[in-house]
Amino acid sequence: MRHPLQALYLVVTVLFTFAPLSAQMVEESLAQDPGPLDFIRGDSYEQWILQSLAGDALVGLSAEGRLVPRLADRWEAQADGTVRFHLRSDARYPDGRRVRAEDVVWTVRQLLQQPQASPTKRAVLEGATVGSDGGQPWIRSPRPPGRLLMELARVPIAQAGHPEGGSGPFAFRKEPGAWVFTRREHFLRPRIDGIRFRLLPDPGGVATALEKGWLSLGAPATRRQAQPPPTHRLVIQPMHAQLVVWSRLGAGPLRQLEQWRKDAFPPHLLGQNARPSRGLWPETLGFRPRAIAGNPAPDPGPAMLRLLYGAGEASLEKLLLALRERARRDGIDLQLRPLEQGLLAERLQKGDFQLACSMVVFEPHPWAVLEYLEPQGPMNFTGWGHPRLADLLVRLRQPGGPAWGDLQDLWAREPAALPLLDFQSVIWVDRRLQVEPSPMGLYLPTPGAAGWRWRL
Amino acid sequence: MAAVRKWTGLGLGVWALGLALALSLPGAPWKQPRPPLFPWEMLGPTVLALVALALLAPLLAWRTGPALARRRVLALLEAPPDLLWGALVLALWPPTWGPPGVGAWLLAFLAAALPGETRWLAQALPGEWPFPQAWGGAAVRRVRQLSLTRLWGRWLAARLPVWLTATLVLEQVLGRPGFGTDWMTRVVVRDRTGLCLWVLALALLWSLNQGAEEEVP
Repeated sequence: MRHPLQALYLVVTVLFTFAPLSAQMVEESLAQDPGPLDFIRGDSYEQWILQSLAGDALVGLSAEGRLVPRLADRWEAQADGTVRFHLRSDARYPDGRRVRAEDVVWTVRQLLQQPQASPTKRAVLEGATVGSDGGQPWIRSPRPPGRLLMELARVPIAQAGHPEGGSGPFAFRKEPGAWVFTRREHFLRPRIDGIRFRLLPDPGGVATALEKGWLSLGAPATRRQAQPPPTHRLVIQPMHAQLVVWSRLGAGPLRQLEQWRKDAFPPHLLGQNARPSRGLWPETLGFRPRAIAGNPAPDPGPAMLRLLYGAGEASLEKLLLALRERARRDGIDLQLRPLEQGLLAERLQKGDFQLACSMVVFEPHPWAVLEYLEPQGPMNFTGWGHPRLADLLVRLRQPGGPAWGDLQDLWAREPAALPLLDFQSVIWVDRRLQVEPSPMGLYLPTPGAAGWRWRL
Repeated sequence: MAAVRKWTGLGLGVWALGLALALSLPGAPWKQPRPPLFPWEMLGPTVLALVALALLAPLLAWRTGPALARRRVLALLEAPPDLLWGALVLALWPPTWGPPGVGAWLLAFLAAALPGETRWLAQALPGEWPFPQAWGGAAVRRVRQLSLTRLWGRWLAARLPVWLTATLVLEQVLGRPGFGTDWMTRVVVRDRTGLCLWVLALALLWSLNQGAEEEVP
């Protein structure tokens, strides 16, 4: 009996000794399969998270949304639209090779030339040329340098010839059912050992996993988010995300929705995740609330409106039912038509709708709203345009400034879309884990997860 | 033989229709997400689950006979959806053991699938009263064995596509992405090529089974 007891004691001791070490890994969940890590073709929210951990862009955005150095420790904007970058000398890929100008040139050219490249990144680099001069890369773009730099923060640089190779603070490996990132020697000096993501699309499953201590952080289901377990704390961060309605019936229905959004949604339905929007563009991006110009009284428009929305989200459906009841009080029959997400996206892209709504996550800079306005903008589903637009666009050189106000005034005269709700991210975070909330989320800013630390 | 060829042709026609549907699947994703990597790591556990189900269900049906189809206990076990079994496993899983793994998924899969499949087989068995019951227990078991041997191939052909793809709920609740999640994700990201490969693989399994089976006139 003595030897088995000794063996058991040894096993228990070893287990307890190694438990704190394994606890240094942050356990997280993903709602959707991000697909293989690919800095050229990857394009989804989950893929962005993977890329922000395993890759470095030329520049970064701080939690407050300001430009900060990342792969480039400094840069110079020239009058002809060229931005010259000075790469830092201590940025290396996992195989030990230094990040060079050739990697920047290769990544940008792949994004511009490959038919399957990420449409979001390709849009950022539209019309751009890239090259290197004295071992340092440059990018020339028709966009103002202020905008280009902000947008380049979302374009990590891959190792030339390796679309899956990044120089980020964490090394990536795929395990069965998990996406694992482990700390590596990096100029951002990550303090946590790593992050392990598991695929958990079910919000109930996420809440259970959080309560049982299997996840270090995660977003619980709306109805349970106010009561985190004792091991976790509640973290609320504003997001650059809105529930947006597009109208192909002109601004009339949007004026009605502007009135209804003020009092349609009961607070208990909104929870902590959302609040009614106040303006036309996200306040989190620095836009002041602006009402639709003209007569605020509801137009005597059609008595029946058909609103398409993405099926499958119970909380959204409840909110839209509340909106329908509010419309009924004004004598409008708001017919809600759920559609599978892919079918909804197709109807939006074809412009085949009266009203359609979807959640939109904006890029973390004010130029993101141009997706509504520019002729080829990915959110210009109604063919919106204005003769003065081109003149105003060239005046948008920096965030803030009078040109932004003029642009918003132009949009407010005849908008094609209106936000109904501003979203906040509500997450439970392990009390021992120190993170920095940001409207971009926890991962996308610089230093992002590399700045997290375990409290002793 | 002509009748067999006719039904096989009809079946292949159904699979061709499935292929056409996969190719012409309407809709477009908002962005252009990458299709997922095929979960090869779940091939072993899935084969294990299917073999366990393919042996346990006929064994239970053989032991209990057609009367099992009318048992209330089986109806009670059959009624709860996959979601309940998954949630039950998740709720009862001790926190100190860490997140449930493949073993828990296998357990939940068998709990969810076995009662229904056993009923499927038991219901398809021929009646036993007055014959072969009058001839004794050995005759009853022999008749059940012959019936199940004839049924097994058809049952597999009919149910295999369902088993391979309907584990989605359990995979999502337990956080073990497998074949169901793969299939569903390809629908979401409109990976039409991947879906066609799925349909072709399932059609191949079905046609192999058709070739192995001989119809007795």
